[in-house]
Amino acid sequence: MSVLAPIICDNGTGYSKVGFAGNSDPSFVFPTAIATRGSASQSSRAPAVPSKPGHLASKRGVEDLDFFIGDEALANAKTPGYGVHYPIRHGMIDNWDHMERYWEQTIFKYLRAEPEDHYFLLTEPPLNPPENREQTAEIFFESFNIKGLYIAVQAVLALAASWSSNRVTDRTLTGTVIDSGDGVTHVIPCAEGYVIGSAIKHIPIAGRDISQFVLNLMRERGEMAQVPPEDQLRVASKVKENYSYVCQDIVREFRKYDEEPYKFFERYEGEHSVTGRKYGVDVGYERFLAPEIFFNPEIYSSDFLTPLPQIVDDVIQQSPIDVRRGLYKNIVLSGGSTMFQHFGTRLKRDLKQLVDRRLDASVTASGSAQRSSGVEVDVISHKRQRYAVWFGGSLLASLPDFYTSCHTKAQYDEVGPSICRRYQIFGSST
Amino acid sequence: MILLEPHNVIIQTTILEKIQKPGSLDVVFVDYDNVRFHLSTPERKTVLLLSMNIRCWDELVQYGALDILRREYGSLLATQVEPEYNVSLEIDLEQVPTDAESREAFVTSLALLKRNALAAPFERGFDTQKQLESAGGQGELMQIHYRDEEAMYIQAAPDRVTVIFSTVFREETDRIFGKVFLQEFVDARRQPSIQNAPQVLYSSRDPPLEIRHVPGLRNSEEIGYVTFVLFPRHFTKSVAPSTISHIQLFRDYLHYHIKCSKAYMHSRMRHRVTEFQKVLNRAKTEVATTERKTASGRTMLSR
Repeated sequence: MSVLAPIICDNGTGYSKVGFAGNSDPSFVFPTAIATRGSASQSSRAPAVPSKPGHLASKRGVEDLDFFIGDEALANAKTPGYGVHYPIRHGMIDNWDHMERYWEQTIFKYLRAEPEDHYFLLTEPPLNPPENREQTAEIFFESFNIKGLYIAVQAVLALAASWSSNRVTDRTLTGTVIDSGDGVTHVIPCAEGYVIGSAIKHIPIAGRDISQFVLNLMRERGEMAQVPPEDQLRVASKVKENYSYVCQDIVREFRKYDEEPYKFFERYEGEHSVTGRKYGVDVGYERFLAPEIFFNPEIYSSDFLTPLPQIVDDVIQQSPIDVRRGLYKNIVLSGGSTMFQHFGTRLKRDLKQLVDRRLDASVTASGSAQRSSGVEVDVISHKRQRYAVWFGGSLLASLPDFYTSCHTKAQYDEVGPSICRRYQIFGSST
Repeated sequence: MILLEPHNVIIQTTILEKIQKPGSLDVVFVDYDNVRFHLSTPERKTVLLLSMNIRCWDELVQYGALDILRREYGSLLATQVEPEYNVSLEIDLEQVPTDAESREAFVTSLALLKRNALAAPFERGFDTQKQLESAGGQGELMQIHYRDEEAMYIQAAPDRVTVIFSTVFREETDRIFGKVFLQEFVDARRQPSIQNAPQVLYSSRDPPLEIRHVPGLRNSEEIGYVTFVLFPRHFTKSVAPSTISHIQLFRDYLHYHIKCSKAYMHSRMRHRVTEFQKVLNRAKTEVATTERKTASGRTMLSR
């Protein structure tokens, strides 16, 4: 009897990606939301359970079982008596009660797996405190009695996911990860599978901001007049997902659009969600301006002005000198907001310029006596970018090494939760 | 929510999605009790192949699983079974019903593949009981070893069908929770509203009389036996399918609820800890924060 596939569970702030190792896509992607009865904003007004004396179960109700997760939670958000909670904040688990129940239903209702038969791979954000790791291990080993557990850092899994690209020849776990989801963008340097925590930088621009920016642009042009207000943000994010791309030169792009508007302007057709009335909007400059806020943030916000290539360069310069070459050579994209066409090429070009300029300056400073052999800069984009973290997990968990790197139930019983403070890094060929 | 559903959600959502938008696919996933599924498009994008591997397949075939599957799926049953799997269904996406309602029903029936395969011994048991009503005697004891250490026994008698589960609790805590839970089950039956429910008996360690002669039964602390006694009113034509679905899921349901109870206990513990912490924080003596000054009147600051 072969061992059943390990379960990969990537719980993010917005969405959870869960599925089985060996697949290329997660089986379920749903919001990390849980709708519980009562106590959302105020005390529960639910009727008390009628007391039927004589039976144990009726002494307390079944409120703790009365909850929904994922899409069902959002669908039930407006049902009287239910309140929606998001148990994960900024990537870290905030409410353990809700999270335990969330996992419970993920495993039993959606994955339909008996946790006692499976190994689990969970993810954590970089700089997650070890106490959180212990708590997670406690829940998984003691509540669910799982066979074995591995907790991996999301950035490292994103690096592993890039091995699926055919441009990657050596399977290394050294590189810079640019992880851009819905809420925030992180730039995380990793050396040999370990995150260089002191050099991590966050950028407050991500998917949500791009949608907002597209919306602003379209409102200014008057396109949104026909769209019902409640649909506007959704239309903007659809436009962003379906039509946007990164251009190499804004000025030339503007000129191109002005000369041949019919060739480049696209039309988005939508339908009013209530009345069914049809409407259409023209999609123009926002096609290339939307992702441009990564490279020229001043067009969107006035508080954050550093372009993404500059941030990446800073991050790498703050890392130890002996890994910098590796970090420049292997810049990996992950998350939905890095999916724009030509995003990688543009980032590579801008970053290369920064690096070359610095090398030239040092050559001049040394009076042309010393010349650098140059620094290789490469940005890797691949097909699995959207769920890169999950896919990396799926990839690693299907390696035979996985089982030896896991902490098993027996080891946990022997040592206790502190065993999960450390995990062996595996999967790298170096 | 509280109940587990008999159908597999992954099969349902994936096939519905592929009917909308055909595309190549290759996924593996599991269901309870060591069942493995493989859903793929080996030849064309519109032909899905759904294969299932189930541990007790040989036993199920012996009890007529193939007939049941043929009845449920008809021509969908593939002649060539995928290697490493026990049964394969071939679904041509171009031939699924077009109207929404019958399509929904079709997909749900596909998602019930495991349930239907496991239904075979139950249906046979129910049929045997009908025959025995006039003839008398005891039906064959059907054994289904659906997990490595756990099995299900079904036996028909002239007036009833007995279903016995053995279940293993590896953890001490689980065993206690399980015991309490099953005791509740037995007690709950005294409530007037569910007087008609099947009788449930629970014994830990000692196997029930019906299966005591079966060789190879483990006799240890961690094993428990749950017996359901089904009377003909529980498997009349109209209720038989739901009886089968529920009894099949009983073991998973039991384990699910043990885990839920643990989660509930944990949340009570966490609540208690925060309450105690509040008490401790209140008990801290306040540090007097008087401003200290030098003789010249300047404030001293500690860094």
